[in-house]
Amino acid sequence: MPQTLLKYLLLSLAALSFIYPFIWMVSASLSSESGLGSLVLLPQGFTWGNYATVFTKIPLGRAFLNSAFVAIVTTGLVLISGAMVGYALARLDFVGRSAIFYLIIFTMTLPFQITLIPNYITMVQLGWVDTYFALIVPFALSSLSVLLFRQAFQGLPQSLIDAARMDGAGELRIIFQILVPNILPTVLTITILTFMGLWNEALWPLIVIRNEPTMTMPQLVTLFSVGGRADAQLGVKIAAAVMLAIPIVVLYLFFQKHFIRSMATSGMKD
Amino acid sequence: MAEVILKHIVKAYAGGPRVIRDLSIDVKDREFVVLVGPSGCGKSTLLRMIAGLEDITSGDLLLDGQRINNLAPKDRDIAMVFQNYALYPHMTVYDNMAFGLKLRNMPKDEIRQRVTRAAQILEIEFLLDRKPKDMSGGQRQRVAIGRAIVREPKVFLFDEPLSNLDAKLRGQTRIELQKLHRDLQATMIYVTHDQVEAMTLGDRIVVLRNGEVMQYDTPLALYNQPANRFVAGFIGSPPMNFLPGRILMVGATLCFQSAGSTVQIGLNNSIHYAALIPYEDRTVVLGIRAEHLMDLVMNGQRPYYSPDTRTVLEAVEHMGSETLAYFTLEGQRFIARLSGDTVVDMNKSIPLFWDIDKAHFFDAETEQAIR
Repeated sequence: MPQTLLKYLLLSLAALSFIYPFIWMVSASLSSESGLGSLVLLPQGFTWGNYATVFTKIPLGRAFLNSAFVAIVTTGLVLISGAMVGYALARLDFVGRSAIFYLIIFTMTLPFQITLIPNYITMVQLGWVDTYFALIVPFALSSLSVLLFRQAFQGLPQSLIDAARMDGAGELRIIFQILVPNILPTVLTITILTFMGLWNEALWPLIVIRNEPTMTMPQLVTLFSVGGRADAQLGVKIAAAVMLAIPIVVLYLFFQKHFIRSMATSGMKD
Repeated sequence: MAEVILKHIVKAYAGGPRVIRDLSIDVKDREFVVLVGPSGCGKSTLLRMIAGLEDITSGDLLLDGQRINNLAPKDRDIAMVFQNYALYPHMTVYDNMAFGLKLRNMPKDEIRQRVTRAAQILEIEFLLDRKPKDMSGGQRQRVAIGRAIVREPKVFLFDEPLSNLDAKLRGQTRIELQKLHRDLQATMIYVTHDQVEAMTLGDRIVVLRNGEVMQYDTPLALYNQPANRFVAGFIGSPPMNFLPGRILMVGATLCFQSAGSTVQIGLNNSIHYAALIPYEDRTVVLGIRAEHLMDLVMNGQRPYYSPDTRTVLEAVEHMGSETLAYFTLEGQRFIARLSGDTVVDMNKSIPLFWDIDKAHFFDAETEQAIR
């Protein structure tokens, strides 16, 4: 019995250490500027003022729509392209199949920072700077998505594909109407990982987007926080950060089970 | 009309051996042909080539006289039932059966009509709203067959459709498949490794080994006149017994002499007698089926047999209607099918009589039947 108690105590402490910064952030965003100094659980001098200030200072609504648009469209493209490439690598016979697969895996080992500048130059050459294309196209094919789709398709029986072919289905119909509905957990994993990665991405937009109406939420919040427009008001910065986190928190509440599975499957955090 | 003709079909994988070597068979309209052979003999590959799921390396595949080598599977008017059923797990039974028809842009009413009719034939109407995971193996098998039926194809292909069912259900489904074949009046090509299935279902059977046709004939012809030692050993359960030996002329009588005994080959064995004369002094293999080795109970009804072999049995299986007796003769494993009420004392040797007139002889080198 004391052992169980000890376990609960330790786990509660660990959980608290993770959740407390978030709780503090929320209460701080609802506190008056003077109540911000202390480490507390509940807001000190409750006010919605910080949020009101954020909305008057920056076009957060527009940035939210931009972020949502970019994240949704790109995630859709990642799913479509990943399923098609993954299917080809898993089920079609062609020369150089393994070589292509290993090349795709190799790109996963390159940190994003290394390809940042070549990617930027490409965007400039294509004239895509300050457009949604720059935010969407470079992320429309993900090696992780290809890898996960390939593994999932390999786990399905070949006879499923054969049967669909006998029924008269073409390759695209086989992929999207027969195979994909049978690997929904994988699809959800890819969706969650991709969507989260895109939603939180701040560095790339900072580089390719400069006009405010095209900016994404993390970019705008970052610029707002470090760029001096918050007039050194900590509460306002924190309120902006809370609003950035809200969509992911909401998603997490809906798909909690799949979030955990996604992390476990991919073995990586972002 | 749906006649399938395979002419000099070859299948070779890049850099690999030939899986099918120069194979020619014809399947007549409305015929039920079974492809049977041990695993790796190429029977499934052959079926998949007919379906269009595998390329044909060379040769001609004709359906009603039209060469269909390069036709896509969907354009061949052929339906296939797979070993693991291959039902679409996320669709209901109705949608599984209707999927192929929808892709052919068939009017909804006609699709409903066809699916309902097929479901009636197979007695699966109550399953139409279920998904595959909520059904038993036997029910899934019926749905898989239903999916083929609704297409009303010229040719049905079956790839070991019963191998995932338990023994009792397999027996039932075999009977139903026979009935289905009669009712649909369709051409059917069926792959199995189970020779009992082959014998019970096929109008004709193709016995395959290493991508070659060993024999293509009716079940009874395969059983009674096997063309070679492989077919003799493969068809029939229990398998045929084999004993190597020599053909000798003793006086005016042709004899088979093995290491331990000499047997007169009577003139009654008319199929073989004349053909065996040139084999005098040469090595042959004698083949005899289990039911042609008899004990005293069975022997009582027949005039003569020779020789009698005294043997100590190693194992006995009482099947009720018959008794299978296992023993070793001159180093060869033998099985005798004895009468069901045989009581065997395992410690005593018992006499077994050979119905030598029913024996088969095979060339020791080519393994072809001598006749």
